Amino acid sequence: MNELFPLKQVMGFVVSLVLTVVALLVYFLDMTFARGIAILLITAFLQAGLQLVVFMHAGETEDKGAIYTNIYYGLIIALVTIFGTLLCMIWGYE
Amino acid sequence: MKIDHTVPLEYSTEENRIKIVGFWIFLGAEIMLFATLFASYFTLVERTGSGPAGSDIFDITPVLIETIVLLTSSFTIGLGIHAMRIGKLMAMLSFFAVTLALGAGFLGVEIYEFLHYIHVGAGLQTSAFTAILLTTLGTHGAHVTFGLFWGIMIVWQIKKRGLTPENANKSFIFSLYWHFLDVVWIFIFSFIYLKGMM
Repeated sequence: MNELFPLKQVMGFVVSLVLTVVALLVYFLDMTFARGIAILLITAFLQAGLQLVVFMHAGETEDKGAIYTNIYYGLIIALVTIFGTLLCMIWGYE
Repeated sequence: MKIDHTVPLEYSTEENRIKIVGFWIFLGAEIMLFATLFASYFTLVERTGSGPAGSDIFDITPVLIETIVLLTSSFTIGLGIHAMRIGKLMAMLSFFAVTLALGAGFLGVEIYEFLHYIHVGAGLQTSAFTAILLTTLGTHGAHVTFGLFWGIMIVWQIKKRGLTPENANKSFIFSLYWHFLDVVWIFIFSFIYLKGMM
């Protein structure tokens, strides 16, 4: 491999394209809503993880702990915001 | 200024290291910003009023072009940072230029897409759905636009001054920002477009 194209990043790019194609199956194949959303959740979070680890070098220095703690914190707040909003505004509860 | 040569240039001073951690904290806040937009989008997606629904206006072709272009630009800026770390200045600047060109291409397609939406009667004030759709896409697009100018300034500065610990740090932080925009786009692609067209 040419020194300008490290294998790790080339593979990361190939995997991200494959994940995009898998996500597209939701559009091209006829499937139930639940199955489609499950596929999208898996491909989207795998893609995001790939970007963080392969391309953003999140874990390469001694600040790894602080960086991951911050990302997980942001992620938890994001999920609580989204699902909390859905619970209040759409789903409701008895 | 104490320069540590055992780590890549962008980390080589105490200040540089702290700036990178600081930018990660900013990205954490950006995750929450986009979460509020997604929460609003999922709440309002059915509120189409007398306007069109997502499945009426979404078109797979521009969306696919935008996705491939942005994924590729995320790859090329990664290569740019790699080239910077092995000291290949010209290769680094070339990869940055390709990244910015792809970013401009993405914006071009997105502007076309927005004009198309307005043309088919899905403007900002048509319904709750179109309002939150255009706000969410627009917030991402505004980030890309800002990134484009930011990137141009960094390339300009490196051409003028060569690679220093300061602008290596700026370049790395810019690459974090650019990858983050790609992450946000993946969620827009999956949970706005593909979910809407499913």
